[in-house]
Amino acid sequence: MLSSLRARLLIWYTLILAVVIATFAATLCYLFWRSLVADIDQRLQASAAGLVQGLRPTASGDFDLVLPGEYRQVDGITAAAATYYAVWNREGELIDRSPGDFPPTAPPAPGIATRQGRRELTSGGANGAVVLVGRDLADTRRDVLAFAGTAAAGGLIALVVSLLGGWFLAGRALAPVARISHAAAAMTAGDLTARIAVERTENELEQVARALNQAFDRLHQAVESERRFTADASHELRTPLATISAEIEWALARPRTADEYRRCLDTAQRAADRMRRVVERLLTLAHADAGAAALQRAPVGLAPVVNDAVGIVKPLAEQKRVTIETRLDAAMVVGDRDRLTDLATNLVSNAIRYNRDGGRVSVEVWPDGDDACLRVADTGTGISADDLPRVFERFFRADKARTADSGGAGLGLAIAKWIVEAHGGRIACTSTAGQGTEVLVRLPRLT
Amino acid sequence: MRLLVVEDERDLAQTLRRALEEEQFAVDLAEDGEEGLFKMRELPYDAVVLDLMLPRMDGWTVLQTARGDGIRTPVLVLTARDMIEERVRGLNLGADDYLTKPFALAELIARVRAMIRRAYGNPAATLQLGDLTIDTAARQVCRGGAPIELTAREFAILELLTRSRGTVVARARICEHIYNEDTDVLSNVVDVHVAALRRKLGSDLIRTRRGEGYIIDA
Repeated sequence: MLSSLRARLLIWYTLILAVVIATFAATLCYLFWRSLVADIDQRLQASAAGLVQGLRPTASGDFDLVLPGEYRQVDGITAAAATYYAVWNREGELIDRSPGDFPPTAPPAPGIATRQGRRELTSGGANGAVVLVGRDLADTRRDVLAFAGTAAAGGLIALVVSLLGGWFLAGRALAPVARISHAAAAMTAGDLTARIAVERTENELEQVARALNQAFDRLHQAVESERRFTADASHELRTPLATISAEIEWALARPRTADEYRRCLDTAQRAADRMRRVVERLLTLAHADAGAAALQRAPVGLAPVVNDAVGIVKPLAEQKRVTIETRLDAAMVVGDRDRLTDLATNLVSNAIRYNRDGGRVSVEVWPDGDDACLRVADTGTGISADDLPRVFERFFRADKARTADSGGAGLGLAIAKWIVEAHGGRIACTSTAGQGTEVLVRLPRLT
Repeated sequence: MRLLVVEDERDLAQTLRRALEEEQFAVDLAEDGEEGLFKMRELPYDAVVLDLMLPRMDGWTVLQTARGDGIRTPVLVLTARDMIEERVRGLNLGADDYLTKPFALAELIARVRAMIRRAYGNPAATLQLGDLTIDTAARQVCRGGAPIELTAREFAILELLTRSRGTVVARARICEHIYNEDTDVLSNVVDVHVAALRRKLGSDLIRTRRGEGYIIDA
C-alpha cells in the first residue's frame, strides 16, 4: 500500500512534469519559428522594396526593371538562395520572374502570407505593377524541427532526472508514514510501548506522528490502568480465597476437634465476607462505568442522610473508641438517597478506620451559596503528600496507614468519587501527615 | 526447620502457621515488610514465605534488601497477581520459588521442603547416614527397614545435624532451628533431646564438642 502510494505520487508527479516540459518546449519551438518567420518577413520586405525601387516607370505607362543585386544571376544561381520573385504589369501579365517553379502564375492579393509552405510578400509598384517576393520555408521548418528534437531530448533527460529525484523525495517524504505504520503495527501486535520516532523537522507528517504518539500514550495509560485494576481486583479476591482454601485443606487433612472446626469456619466466614464486600463494590463500580447504575432523582435532605450514616458506623466508632461530633444544618440536594447514604457511610467509616484509638471525627453539613457541603475530618495518621493525589484511584490504599485488619479494599473513595460526580458535585481530600485528613464534598444545592 | 511467614492477612498467616507447625516446622510470623526484613536479618531461617503486597515495605523491597545484605535464606514468594512479569521480577530479585494465591497447602509445604533441601546442597528428600535412612518428606527414620520412633524435635535435630554433616552445630543454632520465637526454651533442652536421640540411635552417632556444640561426622 505504501509503495503504491509512492508509485502513485510519482506517476502524478511525472505526468504533470511531462505536460509542463512539453508545453514549455512547444512554446519555445513556436517562438523560435515565429522569430525565424519574422526575420524572413523583414528580408522579404527589404527585397520587395528593392524590386519596387528597381521598377523604372516609362512614359508608355510601362516600366523597366533594374534587378537588385540579390536576384541577379551568376551562372543561373541567385545570391539569395531559396528566394524568388515575380513582377506583373497592370494588366496582370507576367513581366519577369526568377527561374524555378515557385512563383505563382497570377498575382495574389497584396500583403504577406504563407502559401504551400512558402512565405510570399506581394506589394504594388509604379504604374500598377505588382511585385512578389517569396521564400521557401523548408529549411526554416527543418531548423525548427531540429530545435524541437533537441528540446525533446533535453526534456526527456530532465524528466528522467526529476523522476529519479522524485522517487527519492517521495521515499523520504513517506518515510514517516513507514515509521507510523510500523509503530501502529507493533501497537496492534500488543507492544504498547511502541512509539513513532519523531524527527525534529516540523512537517505535517511529523505532526501526525506526534499526535499519534500522544494517542498511543493515552491508550497505553488506559490499558495499564485497566491491567492494574484487574490485577488489584484479582489480588483482593485471591487473598481471601487463599485463606478459605488453606483453611479447608487444613480441616480436611485429618480429624479435628469441634473447636478447631469452629475456628476454621469462623476464619472462612470472615474471608467470604471480605470477598462478598469486594465483589459488591466491584459490581457497583462496573455499573458506574457502564452508566447502568441509574440514580434516583428526588429532593433529599443531606443532614438526615448523614445522620443515618453516622448511626450505621456507630458500632465501629465505639469499637475504636472514636467520638463522632456532628453539626448538621439543613441543606437539600436532588439525588439518590441510598447512594448518598453509601457516600456518607464510606467517608465516616474511613475517618474512623484510619483514626487513632480514642480519636475524634467531625462531621458537618451546611449550605454554602449554591452548594450543599459535607465535611468529614478525622484526627488520624493523615495521608502523605505523595499519596494524596491517588486516594480516589481504585484499589489505592495509603499503605502506611493500613493495618491488616482495617479491612478496606481501597474501593471506598473511588465509589465516593463516582457518587459525588454522578450528582454533579465535587470531592476533595486534604491531609496533614500526623494530624488528620479532611474530605470535603460539594453538591449542587436545591433552593 | 525454622520458617518465617511474612503475610499481612492475619487469618491466612495463622492458617499457614498452624498447617506448617503440624508438619513440624517452627514458624515465626511477620505482619509487614519491615518486620519481615528485621527478622530475616536477626535469625538464620531455613526458609521464608514472603507475600508481595505488604504494608510499610513491599515484598520486592524486602527481597532486594535482604539479598543486598547477603542474606541467602531460601525465599518462596506468595503473589496474588498472576502475571508473568511479576514472577520473573521476583525470581530476578532473588526469590527461589513462587506460588500464586490461592494455593494448595500441600504444594506450599512440598515447595518449602524442596527449597530447604536445595539450600543444604542435597536436593534428595531421603538422606543416608550409615545404616540409617532418613526420609525428610515422610518424616521417618528407618534402620534396616525397621522404623525408629522419633519425636518432632528429635527428628528436626537429627535432620539438621545430618544436613550439616561434618560441621559443628552450636546449641543456640539448634534451639533457633527447632523452636519459634514464642517458645521459652530452657537452656538444657537441646541436651535432653540429643540424649534421647543417642538412646534411640546409638551413642556414637552424635558427638559432643565441649563448649561448641554437636556434630555428626562426615
